[in-house]
Amino acid sequence: MQDYHEFMDEILVDESTIARRVAELGAQISKDYQDKDLLIVCLLRGGMTFTADLMRHLTINPELDCMSLSSYGVGHYSSTGNVRVNLDLRTNIEGRHVLLVEDIVDSGRTLAHVLNMLRTREPASLRVCVLLDKKMRREVPVQVDYVGFDVPDKYVFGYGIDIDEHCRHLPFIASVDLSKYKKPSA
Amino acid sequence: MQSYQKFLSEILIDERALQKRIAELGAEISRDYRDADGNLVLICILRGGVVFMVDLMRHITVRHQVDFMAVSSYGSGARQTTGSVRLSLDLQTDICGKDVLLVEDIVDSGNTIAYVLEFLQTRQPHSLKVCALLDKEERRETPVPIDYCGFKIANKFVFGYGLDLDEYYRNLPFIAVVDVDKYHPA
Repeated sequence: MQDYHEFMDEILVDESTIARRVAELGAQISKDYQDKDLLIVCLLRGGMTFTADLMRHLTINPELDCMSLSSYGVGHYSSTGNVRVNLDLRTNIEGRHVLLVEDIVDSGRTLAHVLNMLRTREPASLRVCVLLDKKMRREVPVQVDYVGFDVPDKYVFGYGIDIDEHCRHLPFIASVDLSKYKKPSA
Repeated sequence: MQSYQKFLSEILIDERALQKRIAELGAEISRDYRDADGNLVLICILRGGVVFMVDLMRHITVRHQVDFMAVSSYGSGARQTTGSVRLSLDLQTDICGKDVLLVEDIVDSGNTIAYVLEFLQTRQPHSLKVCALLDKEERRETPVPIDYCGFKIANKFVFGYGLDLDEYYRNLPFIAVVDVDKYHPA
């Protein structure tokens, strides 16, 4: 397996820029939910780092729950666009104020599907906070209420986001030079 | 919901002390797993361990993967002292031949973690170790080998830094002790 320096194209968002923006989002969310009982839903595994940092910038005290999703079929999406729930919420969200925290939104298919699923449970409100928005890739319109950074249509890794399961621990967001990246053998 | 200041008895470990110790643990783990570069898998048991794992992994310099498990007990009520634990989310990674480090927020009775270790061992990892942020040794019912320990703590009711108090306050960046006389769950 390669060292990330070998295939990193550039650092898109560095550590201090992320920290500053996460703090701003935390302040905004604290204000918006000041008198509300907030439930944060972290989408595993990509959203874990962002959620853990964002939570600590909140001046309100939210409840935390996690969901794990995968797609049906081979490849990224099945033809139906349906999403499989590997781990469902423990919390009943009926009547709750829910904020979904996600690392990145690109086509918007997964997010749109999750939002539809969660809406059937009739939360009092349902909003979305994403660290990265890859708007150029959007295929279905999806509501995103809080955005950390708009990013170009590049393959990214770091700060919770993996490249073939590696590099989630890096404290910055970087783009991949695909011509230099060798996929690890399974 | 009560403001935590109303029932906080003391801050047991402040943010700076936590971060300093986690950096030390990360350095120690990086040293010990130098030869396992790329083969290390951190496993976090949801939900308490998420914040600790996210901070810890950022201090680990050897290449590694991260994965999650969620467990619950069979039957109603609190976890049984003996007996099996139900897996509500299994690993996505096949750990056969991997160097596995189980990352836990707190080891209390040790019952759940002892079961999880036994369960993981059946999948024949190359090695299996435990890293716990907090060790409440006094409460131990089942012996658990803790290879990396953040802090040994007294038998007090603690919250913050991923640890909840009736599902809230996981977002606080420090570990605090509850004054149970002053705490009124919602």
